[in-house]
Amino acid sequence: MAYKARIKEFDALLAQDVIRLSSLKKLAFHGIPDEQGKRALCWRLLLGYLPEEKEIWSTILREKRLLYKQFIEEMIVMPGENEINGDVTTGDHPLSINPDSRWSTFFRDNEVLLQIDKDVRRLCPDISFFQQPTEFPCEEIVNSNNVKRLHTRVQRRVLNCANVERRGLGITKIELSKKKASEDYAPMEEGKEAHWEVVERILFLYAKLNPGQGYVQGMNEIIGPIYHAFALDPNINFREYAEADSFFCFTNLMSEIRDFFIKSLDETDHGINTMMSTLLTHLKFNDLDIWLKFQQQDLKPQYYAFRWITLLLSQEFPLPDVLRIWDSLFSDEHRFDFLSYVCCAMIVILKNHLLDGDFSSNIKLLQNFPPMDVQIILSKAVELSKRKLF
Amino acid sequence: MAKKTYDLLFKLLLIGDSGVGKTCILFRFSDDAFTTTFISTIGIDFKIKTIELRGKKIKLQIWDTAGQERFHTITTSYYRGAMGIMLVYDITTEKSFENIVKWLRNIDEHANEDVEKMILGNKCDMDDKRTVKKERGELIAKEHGIRFMETSAKSNINIDRAFRELAEAILDKTAGREPGDSVDRVMKITLESANRISGNMSVQSVLTQNKCLPPS
Repeated sequence: MAYKARIKEFDALLAQDVIRLSSLKKLAFHGIPDEQGKRALCWRLLLGYLPEEKEIWSTILREKRLLYKQFIEEMIVMPGENEINGDVTTGDHPLSINPDSRWSTFFRDNEVLLQIDKDVRRLCPDISFFQQPTEFPCEEIVNSNNVKRLHTRVQRRVLNCANVERRGLGITKIELSKKKASEDYAPMEEGKEAHWEVVERILFLYAKLNPGQGYVQGMNEIIGPIYHAFALDPNINFREYAEADSFFCFTNLMSEIRDFFIKSLDETDHGINTMMSTLLTHLKFNDLDIWLKFQQQDLKPQYYAFRWITLLLSQEFPLPDVLRIWDSLFSDEHRFDFLSYVCCAMIVILKNHLLDGDFSSNIKLLQNFPPMDVQIILSKAVELSKRKLF
Repeated sequence: MAKKTYDLLFKLLLIGDSGVGKTCILFRFSDDAFTTTFISTIGIDFKIKTIELRGKKIKLQIWDTAGQERFHTITTSYYRGAMGIMLVYDITTEKSFENIVKWLRNIDEHANEDVEKMILGNKCDMDDKRTVKKERGELIAKEHGIRFMETSAKSNINIDRAFRELAEAILDKTAGREPGDSVDRVMKITLESANRISGNMSVQSVLTQNKCLPPS
């Protein structure tokens, strides 16, 4: 009953012409119902992609989606397309040292792509979603005879060898040794595209558009849950644009957490080290015993909380739980204060084990958080965050 | 307090470029299994395995690091406490081999001077995609006076042996033996290989004996 009542509350709020973000945050903080693509819609609002005024949504969505299409056209650079008659002496060519050369851009990009490619092929391996084909592939790319697929640019190539058998005169048998790709994240046939390929494109475009930051490992774990929620939206009008919409939501989210990913900002106010010391401060305040134990064992937050914070806990819990946690994180009035309380709650909940354990078993426990109802953690986090007020 | 169930504790560290198979090597060693379904390591991961060496129970505390540059500030802080470092490259990725020099420099800068090192050329089951010859690995190891082995986490080649040899080297040191025999050891292996080749055996059979290729 309570669940149905919550859905009703969401329906009522989302039906308004102007959706007050503050009201949405209050409601969504306690979790967004999985039904009817509510999460995807609420995240669009919470991450500032859609404004409060509903009447301008359609204009904004149209513009943004068009813009994204342009990004693809402009930035998935294919040099060589404009060469006339193969004459490379006057124009651009692969060995050009001109920094404006489209070829040199191409090769520079491939460095980035190589890293992205490795990571998207190991995104959420415990669910099959990312290995499945998308309903809405990027037509120009999937029908390009494999030429424009990003991962073919960084594919490792080896020359084919053949076993040639001679019998009498002439060759009788040429046997090409073919190895079947048994990879799960194998590319799709012409005209099809797997979800991981879509994620690869999003990350590549992000890296191109944010050259100062580029691609850093772990960003795949941030875009993953967003894209997953958007691509499974039951509303086809939204689902069709999961790629473009999740790109912009990811970009907005990254603008708030990008400092975690930048080494030179580690020591700054919004850097990862500040977040980790905030966590320790919470811990010291809320549970001195554990704090002392960690001190004594020299168990630093870098060993466990670095990953927790950088990835917004996406590697610590199964995907449905991550989505639920993110509802709260995205609804946090002081993003990402609440995250530090969630992390602190995770530690406090394990108190008995941690006080008993030696250094090794404690690290192991924290790095492999035991399965539990995520609601327990979130309630504890709320409790801790309130305690601080006094 | 937990009871002490071991005689010695060795801290080991796995480093190398992203995607060379550090996590898979560690998983093979600690759980004797292989899976390609690993998420990328962010920051630093951790496993423990207790082995027996010369009648001593040795607890290996093994840190698995992220390969990408961004994580170096956190990962380099572990170099200091490490007693052994495994430096991994991928025999099918030239770049990961070229970067060995960079990783060695990192070790020089951040690790204890007497840390035991070992270079591993991983994925040696994928000989059809090989771009780094075994000899090149041996050579760079020899130049730096470091142990070397080709491994495959997938086919379980040399994984156990690599960890045991590294642990043994540390044990030698802690037992107060004369250090500096690592150079000899690599030399010996190389010489042995050379002898075998001159003894009318093909490279193929040497590799087979080193368990890096299936016997044909």
